[in-house]
This record gives sequence, C-alpha cells and structure tokens, in this order.
Amino acid sequence: MEPTKQVKTVCGYCGTGCGLILDVKDNEIIRVRGDKDAPVNKGQTCIKGAFAYKYVHAKERLKHPLLRKNGVLTKVSWEEALNFIADRLSFFKEKWGPDSIAMFACARTTNESNYITQKFMRAVIGSNNIDGCNRT
Amino acid sequence: MLLLMGSNTTEAHPIIANRMKKAVRSGLKIIVVDPRKIDMVKFSHRHLQLEVGSDIALLNGMMHVIIQERLYDEEWVRKNTDDFEKLKEKVAAYTPEFAAKITGLNPEDIVAAAREYATAENAMIAYTLGITEHHCGVNNVFDIANLALLTGHIGRKGNGIMPLRGQNNVQGAGDMGCLPNQLPGAFPLADDKYRKRFEDHWGVKLNPNAGDTQTRTFERMEKGEVKALYIIGENPLMADVHMNHTRKLLENLDLMIVQDIFLTETAEMADVVLPAKSWGEVEGTYTNTDRRVQRVRKAVDAHPHVKEDWEILCELSTLMGYEMNYENSEQIWDEIRLLAHEMYGGMTYERLDKEYSLHYPCPDLNHPGTFVLHERFYRPEGAGEKRASFIPVDYTPPVEEPDEEYPFVLTTGRRYEAYNTHTQTRYYQEGIKIKQTHETVDIHPDDAARLGLEDGEMVTVSSRRGSVRVPAKVTDKVKPGLVFMSFHWRDVPTNVLTINEYDPISGTAEFKACAVKIEKMN
Repeated sequence: MEPTKQVKTVCGYCGTGCGLILDVKDNEIIRVRGDKDAPVNKGQTCIKGAFAYKYVHAKERLKHPLLRKNGVLTKVSWEEALNFIADRLSFFKEKWGPDSIAMFACARTTNESNYITQKFMRAVIGSNNIDGCNRT
Repeated sequence: MLLLMGSNTTEAHPIIANRMKKAVRSGLKIIVVDPRKIDMVKFSHRHLQLEVGSDIALLNGMMHVIIQERLYDEEWVRKNTDDFEKLKEKVAAYTPEFAAKITGLNPEDIVAAAREYATAENAMIAYTLGITEHHCGVNNVFDIANLALLTGHIGRKGNGIMPLRGQNNVQGAGDMGCLPNQLPGAFPLADDKYRKRFEDHWGVKLNPNAGDTQTRTFERMEKGEVKALYIIGENPLMADVHMNHTRKLLENLDLMIVQDIFLTETAEMADVVLPAKSWGEVEGTYTNTDRRVQRVRKAVDAHPHVKEDWEILCELSTLMGYEMNYENSEQIWDEIRLLAHEMYGGMTYERLDKEYSLHYPCPDLNHPGTFVLHERFYRPEGAGEKRASFIPVDYTPPVEEPDEEYPFVLTTGRRYEAYNTHTQTRYYQEGIKIKQTHETVDIHPDDAARLGLEDGEMVTVSSRRGSVRVPAKVTDKVKPGLVFMSFHWRDVPTNVLTINEYDPISGTAEFKACAVKIEKMN
C-alpha cells in the first residue's frame, strides 16, 4: 500500500519522546517508522512505538457520549451530556463548595489540553483539586 | 559512569536503554542497582541486587565510604552546599557492614561502587519508579541528590540526576499546572505576584490555597467530602493500589465523569463518559523526560462525534458561565507562552517545526533552550548565603514485610510489549510476534522447587487485601523470596494485591513492596 501522506509526530507512549513518521492512507495510519532527524531516537523505535498504533482505528473506540440512565450507560447527544455535567457541577459548587469537586488530569494528552484542564478547574470550578499520575 | 537505580530501562524506556548500551561500547561503565536481574545487567560491569526498598541503606553506605576515604570534592561541597556536617553525622552509622546487612549485598561491593562513582570524571544517576514508588520515595530521591551533591556530579554535561519519566507527557502535565500547588510554568500557586498574572489575564480571582493530591482526594472520597470526580485519560481502578478499596471509593461518588478513548474499567463505573480524540488525531506539544518540548501532529481525522480534550472543557466552561474559545491548539500554546514566558516564551510552533525540539527554559525567540538545567547551587553574591542543602535521611523498611503467613515480597512493574493498563497495546499491527501475551507471577527456581511448582502452572497469589490466579513463570531474574508481576491485564488485576501505604510528602503509593503468599491450585 502506497501512503498518500506522511506525518511527523512524537510517540504517545513513554516519556522518551521519540520522533516518528506516520504513513497515512485513506484516513488510516498504515505504518509507523522512527524519524532519522529526531534528536532523541535518531530513527530507532521500540515495539510499542512502531507497532502498537492500531488502537487509533479500533472499532471499540468510544464514539458517542454516554450517560447513566436507570443504571445503564446510554448513548446521548453531546448537548445532553454536557448540559447534564454543567448543571451537576454548578449544583455541587453552589451547595458544597468548589472543593467538593476534584479532577484527575491526563499525562498522555497534550500540553495545550492540560493547560485548559487546569484553567477549567481553577477559573471555572474555583478549586485547586487537580492532580494526575505524576505521583506514580 | 552511570548509576542506574530502580529502572528496568530495556522494557520501560527501550530507546533510552539503546543509547545507554551504545555508550557502553564507547567506554561507559554502568552499575545497575535493582532487586531483579533485569536485562541492563548484561551491559553493566556491576549489579547490586539489593533487597526491595533498601536503597537508602546502600546510598548512605556509599556516602559513608566516600566521606571516610575523603573521595568527595571538599572545595565544591564548601562552595555549593549547606549542612554537610549533618550528612556526615547521619551516614556515620552506615558502615559498609551495616549497609550490607540491610541491603543483602557484600560490604566489598558497596565500597567498590562508592569508589567508582565518586572518582569517575563524569557520573550520572538515572532512576525510575523503583525509587519513587515506596512509602519513602521522597527520601530515596533526597538521598540520590545527597550523593550527587557530595561528589559534585551535577550541573555539568555528563553528570546530574535523570528521572526517566513513564508517560509521553507526564512532565508536561505537571508543568502546565495540573498539580494542586502549581501554576503553568511550574511556579508555586502561593506566589502572589505570579498568581496575579493569571488572575489578570483570566479575569477571575484564584484560590491561593493548594488543593488535594490524588491520594488526599481518595481520603476525602472515603469521608464523603468529594462529591464529583472528573477523570481524563486515566484508569485508576486498574492502575492504583488496593483495587477493591479504590472501587469502593469510586462507588461512593455522587458524580463520576470519565473522558477517554475507550470504555476502560474505570469508565464502566462512570455516570457520564465523554469520547475524546486520541494521539494521531490532534495537534499540540508534549514535553519529554529531559524537558524537550516537541510538536505532536494530526495524521488522521477522528470520528465526527469525538472531540478533543480541550474542546470539551471549553464547551463545558462556556455552559457554566465562563467563556473559553480557542480556534486551535496554537492559540492555547501562545497563551501559555505569554503567561509562562520564563519557560516557553521563545518556543513558537514555527520554531518547534524548524528546530524539532527545544529544552525549557527558553524565555525568548533568540534563546537556544537550556540543555543543562542546574549549573549553580549557591546564590550569587549579595543575595544571601543560601546554598543547596543536604537532606540526610534514614532507611525505613517497607511497610508490609514478609512473615510466616505471607512469606514473599511482591514487587510490580512493566513488561516490554504492554503499556500500563493495556487499553492501547492490545491493538498491535497484525503479524507482530508478542512474547508475553498474558500475566505471570515471576518466581525464582529455588522457591518454585520448594513449592513444587512447574513453569506455567496456575497458582493463587494472595495478600491481606485480595487474591488473583495467575500462571507461575520460573526465572532467576528474581531473587529467592521475591516475586514480580505487572499490572497490564484486566483478567489478572495485580493491584488487588498491592498496599495502600503512601509517601507522606509525594502521596506516591508503595507499589514496589507488599507481602504475599503463593499457593498451588487444587
């Protein structure tokens, strides 16, 4: 299979930060290689970085928000899910104070998403109860 | 010379291991400090196979030798450090013989390692979770710092202390302020001037008091004080210690929100699950283990009903009355560069695209980034006399030691092909041969013989907190009395066994040591 495009990125597994080149065809990653220009790995990859990428296209990926109704996680629209959360969090904040809410942030997502995560907790919820797996 | 402590580098950081092996071929000497005969031992010139959790006894023993034989740099210590006398007093008791008794090593090996590290022209210490995942994790790290300071093996290229971090952006998440006491740019929340910078830009008054760590949040969940928990891309039910306890705490919540790419074991318990975009579907930056910021790029379009983490939080924020709007990740990055300019001011996407990676601090566009972070350990003249302080510490044994009923020490860690709770690594490209496809309890041949166990035989492993069934793997990688398991497979949830004891400062749990018994099935 000939790729239709190649994308340079950084591996999403451990903290080494290996540069990778992704071959993409028909909106699917079809091959991952180490990037020779990458200062960290100089073209090398480990087995996870090179071959454990199929999860991106796994059929088990979550594709809809889910809300527990009568004990069962049920598909709902984004509007319903986000309105539910916004109402509940506002209620908790009002009734029990901002510190009744806590956030576990994500060590796998980007700096940009992490920045917004803590901004949400501090500026919107008003709590510093934000932590992650930095301690493990 | 490299002192490699509590790091199974080949399996957990394979590419860093490759660079270490390459350096061995050009003359690097490695001392491996690890209770298991890990693969890196093959490339080392000395293996100190110490008892689990006895690192401080070893380090204090080494410093005892270094001080007694005057192998430390007296001039460097005088100029750069405080409290040397306190350190000297503390390590006086840790003779090589005393340290050997605690660690299970030979006194001669401790003396030899001390001399090798102290007299090397350049010496580095690299460590991983084998150091931090103990009830005394912070003290372990203090003692590593004591050793580096004593010998002056810090602040120069080829020297220093290098924690090898386990997740692609665990460094960045903390740096971005996803910590209870820290704002973006790794400044303390308590710093009024710095906090005001954020208050002014965000247009809100911020709570100046540090929030709760994850550990403290669990404690407050137990008391019912935490009503709502929002978890992004983490699977604490499987990954945290004492799983049966964790499950109860999560059940205690009034509202649990999980934002993830799969319906993880934790997500299955949630009240609301939000589908997020994954790696390969987003733009942004990660910060790696040595402070390099690098660009992450989108390769494929995500499913149309899936949103990016920041996008979801911005929408939620706006619904809750605080408008947050960004067009793309670069706009967010530019806000970070503006507010935390001491660290990231000079790192535009354009520069990162051109230069591949930049080490923070990089305060302006002409700054090349900072390769060696700590080059000075004393304040310049006129700013007081404060220098880097030694923080002497004592050895404390693991909280739960083996006894008659639970005679084995269980230590946990990762395996090469799987990653954390295995939500992603169960999807390998077709045709890749995987050596380890399921969990095992790795046990020494002497112990296996005593229990009458064959390789591959099913056993029950139990601690005071629960039990799991798992096949035994008979291997001399572990010492007699020690068994090893990973936490990758949901059918063998190893964290049912582990203990909920924590370091009092960091809140890190003692994943590396608890007592278990092993019984044959039938």
